[in-house]
Amino acid sequence: MNRATRIAVIVAMAIAVLAPIGLVVYQSFLDGPFFQPKTAFSLSAYEFVLDDEDFYEALSNSVVIAFGMTAIAVPVGAILAFLMTRTDLPGRRWIEPVILVPMFVSSVVLAFGFVVSLGPAGFVSLWVKGWLGFVPWYLYSKWTLIVIAGLTHVPHVFLYTSSALRSLGSDVEEAARMTGAGPLRVALTVSLPMVTPNILYAAVLVFFLGFELFGLPLVLGDPEGILVLATYLYKLTNKLGTPSYQLMAVVVVAIICIALPLVALQRYLLRTANRYVSVKGKASAQRPVTIGFWRWPAVAVIVGWLAFTVVIPISGLVLRSFVSSWGEGVHLSEVLTLDHFRELTHFPNLVRGIVNTLLIASVGGALSVGVYTALNLAAHRWQSGWTRLMDYLVLLPRAMPGLVAGLAIFWVFLFTPFLSPMRQTMVAIWVAYTLVWLAYGMRLVSGALLQIGPELEEAGRVVGASAGRVSRDLTLPLIKVGLISSWLLIFITFMREYSTGVYLLSPGTEVIGSLLVSLWGSGAVDLVTALSTVNIAMIGCGLLLMSLFGKRSHG
Amino acid sequence: MAKLTIDDLHLSYGSNHILKGITATFAQGEIVALLGRSGSGKTTLLRSIAGLEEPSKGAITIGNSPVFDGAAGLNVPSEKRGLGLVFQSYALWPHKTVFENVAYGLRLRNVPSADVAQRVAAVLEGVGLGHLGDRYPHQMSGGQQQRVALARALVYNPPVILLDEPLSNLDAKLREEARIWIRSLIKRMNLTAVFVTHDQVEAMAIADRIVLLDGGRIVQAGTPEQLYTEPVSLFASEFMGTNNQIKSRVQDKRGGYALIDLSGFPLWGKDRGGKAVSEDVTGVIRLEQVSVVDGEGENCVKAELETSLYLGSQWEHVFRCGDLTLRTFGRALAPGSHWLHLPPEQLWVF
Repeated sequence: MNRATRIAVIVAMAIAVLAPIGLVVYQSFLDGPFFQPKTAFSLSAYEFVLDDEDFYEALSNSVVIAFGMTAIAVPVGAILAFLMTRTDLPGRRWIEPVILVPMFVSSVVLAFGFVVSLGPAGFVSLWVKGWLGFVPWYLYSKWTLIVIAGLTHVPHVFLYTSSALRSLGSDVEEAARMTGAGPLRVALTVSLPMVTPNILYAAVLVFFLGFELFGLPLVLGDPEGILVLATYLYKLTNKLGTPSYQLMAVVVVAIICIALPLVALQRYLLRTANRYVSVKGKASAQRPVTIGFWRWPAVAVIVGWLAFTVVIPISGLVLRSFVSSWGEGVHLSEVLTLDHFRELTHFPNLVRGIVNTLLIASVGGALSVGVYTALNLAAHRWQSGWTRLMDYLVLLPRAMPGLVAGLAIFWVFLFTPFLSPMRQTMVAIWVAYTLVWLAYGMRLVSGALLQIGPELEEAGRVVGASAGRVSRDLTLPLIKVGLISSWLLIFITFMREYSTGVYLLSPGTEVIGSLLVSLWGSGAVDLVTALSTVNIAMIGCGLLLMSLFGKRSHG
Repeated sequence: MAKLTIDDLHLSYGSNHILKGITATFAQGEIVALLGRSGSGKTTLLRSIAGLEEPSKGAITIGNSPVFDGAAGLNVPSEKRGLGLVFQSYALWPHKTVFENVAYGLRLRNVPSADVAQRVAAVLEGVGLGHLGDRYPHQMSGGQQQRVALARALVYNPPVILLDEPLSNLDAKLREEARIWIRSLIKRMNLTAVFVTHDQVEAMAIADRIVLLDGGRIVQAGTPEQLYTEPVSLFASEFMGTNNQIKSRVQDKRGGYALIDLSGFPLWGKDRGGKAVSEDVTGVIRLEQVSVVDGEGENCVKAELETSLYLGSQWEHVFRCGDLTLRTFGRALAPGSHWLHLPPEQLWVF
């Protein structure tokens, strides 16, 4: 790319990122929706929200839940990572791919699963009640929410810690063994301290995700009226009877104000973490640590965690989609049915939702990867103020949870005359999805770009190729495999996305995720479980595709 | 006729000055080595010629056309300079076959494909890889990859070919062979070549002329013999060979020679540094110029044989004279005291 193209791409991105945020901030200082003729600047929306007790309760709930789930996810994830990468634990090969499943299933689907399995009339609850005569837990309390949120976010910590542990060479550990330290001492004094920056990064990430939590509290917090910031925003839609855009804008501004420093902190930690890993030893063949008798309790803990966070909710959900009704005294063999899936096909909006989801994930995902690639190429091997600006711009959408970004994009399409005809089309959904996953997608593509040495491109220039030819003939073909695997990851990500489409939901823009949220509100459990099962099956296919591709490109 | 001219070239990254005024000319058909330690600016100079770095000041001219001129704001992009560059890592494109790697430069120049096939085949033949065009780079050994990299840089007949540490990724045996065939290939094609190296033996073996760099400046430029036998400074003499060093003071000066002292023995040496009487100086003499003699004489010192190392073709002897160590090569010696002769014209006083 030449300089002018690069700058044009970066400016286009700046507009796409700043317009929604600017519009939200502008709206928050108005006394009514921006499209009404008689709105004026005022601080009344801020006064209303900052006077609202519910807001403070939601805020404090968000903080408590975020802390609680960090306190659970980090130690469990770090121990899991150590056990899986550094010890001779039996069955590591088949446990490992299963660990990441909670990351790929949308959290609203997981939440439904917990309800149908562990709720007051759930499969597991009734089974336990048959044994004990009572159910020894209550699903809808704040503490259960924290435990579930904590355990379902273990994969994030696992991912960052295990990749760091894996890139740590055996030589640093062997050096410690040679000076006289035993295996446990090596783990505590050498291996884990060396990956501390990565664990810390994962902790901040989980805290941040806890702050953005939407699906789990929406489903599990609702019966007891437990609000967090995102669900407070969602409920606010109709607080005053009329669409209270200005109030929503204020909550969005509050969420962004809290999230932005957390995002900046993550960025800083990631940099220090990478610096730390770069001084690591040589990553030669690693010899696992023998943990003897302790491997059996360790396996029991891992299997227990998997049963709770993966097997129970997902099997419960799938089972529920195949039974006509469920409650005390109902026999499974009498109620098995395919009716719910037949029923799905009778709702044109649900069928459209499934088709749209497939389209947005496949075609939309490919287009998004194209956008992320163009943005990456615009900054590729170019040190300038423009690329630094872009680095910071990428962070902004990261600070907007999907629900918020969807709302902001909805407003942008409402506000901008030439965009408004497209508001009720999949274009709006695609823009919102691309924006929400901007930072993630940019990192996927830049990971591929970092793999190619600068001299491969310099060689092209010297031989006589212009910058554009180098991109087309050398850079893009070299990252082809990386781009395909980025597309597969984005495919799964778009498939499971649920919160971004919520405010954009209209006839023609249905996607499975947003349909699930709205169906759950109407209490249609049969349809919800059937649609969730379809979603899980689609994600399963995506994962299968990814592992097949991974095998092919490595073999 | 000068093929490549560099005039007062400066380059800095922020406050870090890498090149501090380099002026040099390279004649048609000449092989020139840019020699220096890491950080001396040799690679940066090569990359500036290739157009991969942007100097802050100065000018570069290829043939008669300027490609960089700081004052005029001219900076021709790499792809318009038409040079050939062999990278230290070879930088072969892994997704293209050997043939396609070499052919790319011709395709960019819109050469008809029949000609492309013929020219690529000819140049691959020239580097001894005529039969391997269908392979991918990862299917080749390091030595073969290096030949492909050279073929890729030569195929479009660049006016000047640049090589960045071309031999550093080869093992010792291959490197000695590559020295010979690279030099004969460039000479046969009558090319102008500039190559970067930190190895003075490699520089002397391949180059017609050596430009010795240190700290972003040219220390000395000349033929390998000039640099080895007439270094202009202590740095140059140390860089080009292995020396004995004698720290002393100037005691007397006469007719271009200076008198220094080695543990009580007076020694005359060539006055190369121009220091005045009673100033601190360093006397330098190449190991192979010190010889063991039968008895006392002019410019001789008496020293104890401390140890001898067997090197196969000869012995290296380590002598002690006062608190100074003197090394030399020769035949096997009996232990004890020996007289060593340091010829005045080979002892340089800086």
